[in-house]
Amino acid sequence: MGRILIVDDTMFMRTLLKNILFSGGHEIVGEAADGTEAVAKYQDLKPDLVTMDVVMPKMNGIEALKEIKKMDPGARVVMCTAVGQEQMVKLAIKSGARGYVVKPFQAPKVLDEVKNVLAS
Amino acid sequence: MVESEFEQYRGLFVAESRENHEVIVRNILILEGGDDPGAIDEIFRAAHTLKGASASMGFDTMEHLCHAMEDVFQAIRNREVEVTQELMDLLLRTVDLIEEMIDEIEEGGDSSSADVDELVDALKASGIPTGKKEDPSPQIQEILFSASAGESELPRYRIRIVVDDASQMKDVRALIAIGNLEQFGTIIRTHPPLADLEGDADTFDGTIIIEIESDAGGEALISAAEGSEITSVTIEEEGEDPDLPVYRILISVDEESAMRGLRACIAIERLEEMGTIISSDPPREAIEDGNFDSVFHLKIKTGSEPDALRRAALVPEIRSVEVIPEDAATPGTPVKKNATGPALDEKAPKKTETKNREIKNLRVDIQQLDRMMNLIEDLVINRGRLKQIAEKNRMKEMEEAIGMIDRSVSDLQILMMDIRMIPLNHIFNRLPRVVRDTAHYDGKEVEFVMYGGETELDRSVMDGLNDPLLHLIRNAVNHGIEHPEKRVAAGKPAKGLVHLSARRDRDNVIIELRDDGAGINVEKVKAKAIEKGILTQDQAEQLTKEEAINLLFHAGFSTADAITDISGRGVGLDVVKGAIESLKGTIRVTSHEGKGSTFELLLPPTMAIVEVMIVRLNNRRIAIPISAIVEVASMKRENIHRIGTQESILLRDEVLPLHMLEDMFGFSEETEILVVVQYDNKKSCIAVDLVEGQQEVVVKPLSSIIGVTRGISGITILGDGYVVPVLDVNTMV
Repeated sequence: MGRILIVDDTMFMRTLLKNILFSGGHEIVGEAADGTEAVAKYQDLKPDLVTMDVVMPKMNGIEALKEIKKMDPGARVVMCTAVGQEQMVKLAIKSGARGYVVKPFQAPKVLDEVKNVLAS
Repeated sequence: MVESEFEQYRGLFVAESRENHEVIVRNILILEGGDDPGAIDEIFRAAHTLKGASASMGFDTMEHLCHAMEDVFQAIRNREVEVTQELMDLLLRTVDLIEEMIDEIEEGGDSSSADVDELVDALKASGIPTGKKEDPSPQIQEILFSASAGESELPRYRIRIVVDDASQMKDVRALIAIGNLEQFGTIIRTHPPLADLEGDADTFDGTIIIEIESDAGGEALISAAEGSEITSVTIEEEGEDPDLPVYRILISVDEESAMRGLRACIAIERLEEMGTIISSDPPREAIEDGNFDSVFHLKIKTGSEPDALRRAALVPEIRSVEVIPEDAATPGTPVKKNATGPALDEKAPKKTETKNREIKNLRVDIQQLDRMMNLIEDLVINRGRLKQIAEKNRMKEMEEAIGMIDRSVSDLQILMMDIRMIPLNHIFNRLPRVVRDTAHYDGKEVEFVMYGGETELDRSVMDGLNDPLLHLIRNAVNHGIEHPEKRVAAGKPAKGLVHLSARRDRDNVIIELRDDGAGINVEKVKAKAIEKGILTQDQAEQLTKEEAINLLFHAGFSTADAITDISGRGVGLDVVKGAIESLKGTIRVTSHEGKGSTFELLLPPTMAIVEVMIVRLNNRRIAIPISAIVEVASMKRENIHRIGTQESILLRDEVLPLHMLEDMFGFSEETEILVVVQYDNKKSCIAVDLVEGQQEVVVKPLSSIIGVTRGISGITILGDGYVVPVLDVNTMV
């Protein structure tokens, strides 16, 4: 079970994810609503894993991922994406994301992904 | 469709969808005004979020529409379609429908009753190149991994990875596996080639073969390659590792064992800790599932002694373990492993961190806030009662305790006021759309500028402000701004300007709406007033310009010659004035013919708690808001004069109207104090018997059963339980 930072620009998605992750026994150590906040909180909280939305204001998920990877090459980041964003996800994977989940979220898939990435 | 577990998210969904809807509308209008990459990015993000959220909630109809809309915005962003007036209208119609859907969802529906087909078709037809739905992300051009042929001494492996057919992005899964493997060695080549996986084409069949040079060992590579939606990972070692011996291990599990697979697994895991398992027979996933007849074989490369291996594998319910040294590893035997198998890597040490864990914001139901406000009001009233009891009985100790409560209650009040404050943007954000629609309808060109939307107002004031403000804005476009040709003829730019600003000025929030239109024609106003029978020709001639303009606020007055669809639905400025006054605010208009008009609204930031002066008249108590009081003077009866129907009093050099309030509170013989009040630059006097004091009170509105009572804005309950009316100075002066 991991300490997780949730990054998404909507509270709706964050709440959804939070409840899913919580049901899987994970601890939600923080939330961020944009990339800049995500990077700052990562540094602060040193979570085991980050769920990272792609499309966000200020700094998008890919940029935030790169920043986090710069700070901590071992960072475990799972991208939250939607169908139609394959290219973005590929870019994210290339930039060091460890996994991805596709919206709309299915709880078992999310938990599986998180479990796998945490174990990696 | 929408399961009950999603109900808890409905409110949040609605609130955030409304925000995103507003973002889209606002930015569409910016986009309409000219090219703005920032605006289209904002729109795209909001549309994308709307789509994702509606999909998550299972609102398929809404998702369908949002998706079609997102594609159009995408095309605009990629400059594949041009922003035309028709396209803007189509997009605005779409967001209108989305707003309706949000309304429906808020009321418990699922948006499926909306008919979106026509709009979806229209959106699709609006010039979207099909099959191009990607984010315009930088092309991945660099070569991911150096493919220099491995001339090193490291062992080389061939890893075959099968991705779950159900995966939504199989190629990405393969890329993740490749990326993970790269951490452990040098990738020589892949089949299909990397370029194919990274490209746009969706040709990947789900199986990838990776050749890698690595000294991490087969098991570590398997661990690295496996992950979510990976069905199987098979590894073959090419060549050999000269350093470590290989052993064949025969393990036989107790036939009585209830969970053979589990037992076998534990044994395998123990062995894994000691070396690298190269192969297993039957395949590992079959072993884990218990699909073997009591005996299975493993091949392990390890530096450990055979005896140690045997002991490690001898876990409960394992009957026997046989370890046979092999002279050389036989390459080519695959190890198959279930994707969900245990992983071995050590987790990074966890640091415990306590700061910043809490959630910084939360949403609260406004009704709960209202209830809380009511409770605080009750507390304020009862605090007053307690104070009086303590004073009456001279209980020093209790007075001290009440002093403490006093401070807490005051702080609570201030805090509550702060919490209830919301930025004006809540209503400002909708206005650009209103201006646009009104201008379009009228065939006018209008530039709308807003400032100070961050200024905060109490929610209840905000609620009451929405309609009057809408009305004024429509009026400004409708009646203020002239048609372009008229403006040009008058030497003005064709495009009119409507300027809305808000600012906090000590005790008030000032909202100013200015237009550079035709201004108010005073003579026309007078003529209309005479025609409507509001006043006579003689009276009209005596009016100052200011007074004449104020006729606009007279009930039933409207200078519009034709009633348009957008503004002037028979509701006049008198309603606006009434609404603003019911918020304890004032409205003032100034106008210069040919140059434009300015409406200025003066509003209290909050209206629940008011400082009042308590006065006595005919043995009754009355509260007068301090904000309206200019001074208190003693009354000299000889200075009272009757001018027309109105009693007046001479106070120093001024003659002021005098209100005796007999019809409200009965005749009093003892009036000797004058309270001078002022509203809208006009003073008048109220005669009272005596002034009792000054205090903060909570003004409760009169029940709707009683209706609007002229002269009274509400009631308040004093500490001793007396119910006291609060005078409404606005309607008296």
